Amino acid sequence: MTADAFLFWFLAITTIAGGITVVSVANPIYAALSLAFTMVSVAAVFVTLEAYFVAGVQLIVYAGAVMVLFVMVLMLFDLKHELEAFARGKVSGAIKLLTAGLLGGLLIGAIAYSPEGSKIAVGANQVAVAGDPTKNLGYRLFTQHIFAFEALGVLLLVIAVGAVALSRSKGGTHGQR
Amino acid sequence: MDSVSSEGLSLITNVGLNHYLVLSTALFCLGLIGVLLRRNAIVMLMSIELMLNAVNISFIAFGKYNNNIDGQIMVFFVMTIAAAEAAVGLALAVSIFKRFKEVNIRFFEHLRG
Repeated sequence: MTADAFLFWFLAITTIAGGITVVSVANPIYAALSLAFTMVSVAAVFVTLEAYFVAGVQLIVYAGAVMVLFVMVLMLFDLKHELEAFARGKVSGAIKLLTAGLLGGLLIGAIAYSPEGSKIAVGANQVAVAGDPTKNLGYRLFTQHIFAFEALGVLLLVIAVGAVALSRSKGGTHGQR
Repeated sequence: MDSVSSEGLSLITNVGLNHYLVLSTALFCLGLIGVLLRRNAIVMLMSIELMLNAVNISFIAFGKYNNNIDGQIMVFFVMTIAAAEAAVGLALAVSIFKRFKEVNIRFFEHLRG
């Protein structure tokens, strides 16, 4: 077995195990911890796909910032005692699991029966990725996708103001009962 | 028999685009199960993050195997939106917790009327 294949299977197992733990563990703090583990594994998967800059951003944004947000809110609320971690009802739970399993089976079947190699035809808008990929990425981001980039900046400003306004509100729209 | 086993071995050793897509599908379905099955609003938000990460894996895999860098740019946008969504969702959770002292989705029926 080559090193590439071993790395892929190792990372796949850690990613899926982390995901299963997020979904199945009852304590939200442990769920947040295993979510951070999953994020780090996904960053490593990005490294195996030679997307080094995106892997770094994944580590900083997800495993850093977003996880701090989650853990801080959990600590603020002291949610260790969980009344009902899972939905009630055996039948509806079975139907939900079955639905997710069906979707997964459908997608995996479609992937498995797709034409071998499943290469998309090289389009006219394809750019040759030559030289430093990070430099290429920045060049594309700031030329072709500049409008989306600026729009995202505006969106982030709106979100920051909105999040502060939401969390400062007392809650409820009908006044205090 | 021998050809079957060698085929299975090549499935394990030759990691390609399909392997990454299957990994992405599995992670996406885990996130879906979490959103459907969990009752804690914050854990549901975490499961949504799982689903977004699964989509990111497939973007990067397609980008690499088609030699196209636009997949990575799309991943940037998805990450930004995901961070914004987490911020707003957690702000809503803070607001709801202040009101009801609970973030279990079962108690959100109080939102009616």
